[in-house]
Amino acid sequence: MIRHFMKMNIEVQIPFEHHQSAHCETGVISNLLSHHGLPISEAMVFGIGSGLFFGYFPFIRLNHLPLSAFRISTGGIMKRVCKRLQVRVKWEKFRNHQKAMDVLDQRLAQQIPVGCRTGAFWLSYFPRRLRFHFNMHNLVVFGKKGSDYLISDPVFPDPVVCSESSLRKARFAKGSMPPKGKMYHIESVPDQVDLPKAISMSVKEVCRNMLKAPIPFIGVKGIRYLAKKMEKWPEKLGEEKASLYLGQIIRMQEEIGTGGAGFRFIYAAFLQEVAPILNDYRFLELSLRMTEIGDHWRAFALMASRNCKKRASKTENYLEMADILRHCAECEAKLLNDLSAITPDT
Amino acid sequence: MLNTELKEKIKKIIISELNLFDIDPLDIGDDDPLFGDKFGLDSIDAVELVFQVKHHFGVEIKDMNEGRPALQSVNTLTAYITKRLST
Repeated sequence: MIRHFMKMNIEVQIPFEHHQSAHCETGVISNLLSHHGLPISEAMVFGIGSGLFFGYFPFIRLNHLPLSAFRISTGGIMKRVCKRLQVRVKWEKFRNHQKAMDVLDQRLAQQIPVGCRTGAFWLSYFPRRLRFHFNMHNLVVFGKKGSDYLISDPVFPDPVVCSESSLRKARFAKGSMPPKGKMYHIESVPDQVDLPKAISMSVKEVCRNMLKAPIPFIGVKGIRYLAKKMEKWPEKLGEEKASLYLGQIIRMQEEIGTGGAGFRFIYAAFLQEVAPILNDYRFLELSLRMTEIGDHWRAFALMASRNCKKRASKTENYLEMADILRHCAECEAKLLNDLSAITPDT
Repeated sequence: MLNTELKEKIKKIIISELNLFDIDPLDIGDDDPLFGDKFGLDSIDAVELVFQVKHHFGVEIKDMNEGRPALQSVNTLTAYITKRLST
């Protein structure tokens, strides 16, 4: 039943279980699905969403530096998870700011937790030094008290409170990929999900994307492409600019909610969960190998950070870093071939 | 190891491994923010600190989100290491 209410006067707190996660999109999906009776870990969401990826795009710039990506594009994980688990999600987009807030209030009054796309910079609960202009940040609004919203932001350890004006600004942040008030809620979750089928489909897609990409900047080829380019950075760009390029990769790999090592550790956790579901314990061995690959990526990040900060020894140079990347590429290629071979066809 | 000894060790590691040559352990307050203007450290230095925590104490911080609260100050890092070592 829809309850009618006066604007701004609702007092509602939906019993919503908040869990912190490494990444906002996977965390929101995990929390929302769990709320609707489909408990699923962040790692499983990442895996079923075929999140694992690598791409190095020198022609796309982020803060004037080449873009590297360790996961598929934003929104892609949610789309895949909902499709593969047959979860119905209703998306809404607004031009009118007031209407966007009113409809949000309506959903809350209906006891529906709502996912919102936001510009993280405008969220008042983000400490100033952690704010940056990122317009694809996901969170769940699960209540309202006075003019403050109760929010489950998966990258925070506990639920937070955000003023109406901040949330409104965040929902209509300007700039690259503006959220345009987008919000979503789960309409229905099936009584039973075919998890083995969803897992198989997702794993096959990751293997295909990473091993058979038709262009050189994507997948295992992309890692090798980055290695080749990186070797020449000091002479081509000069030490200072080369350091900036390296710093950008480290941030994308270790800092932007990746769960560590560019999502490789999360994917290892996914493979570990897969073993008992598919009743095939070879996935455990692959999980361990994926963790080792994550450690190689970490070794690269460490050497790169030492180069950025001029703390590197003589052997910790660009040629050595490129070699580590080639080793990562080789290990990932072997692992993904093995993974594809043991994953049942759907 | 006592908490005070652990804090001293952490301070010495930060100074030597992050090349803070002009800083004395006494200059680092237990609650001082490690990252930011005071010591000039940033997220790139966090990668090194995570490695050093593993190297010296055997405590692995796989996820930077999990590590971020721990890396706030010497006190938070001490508490994190102590907790991890006791579990």
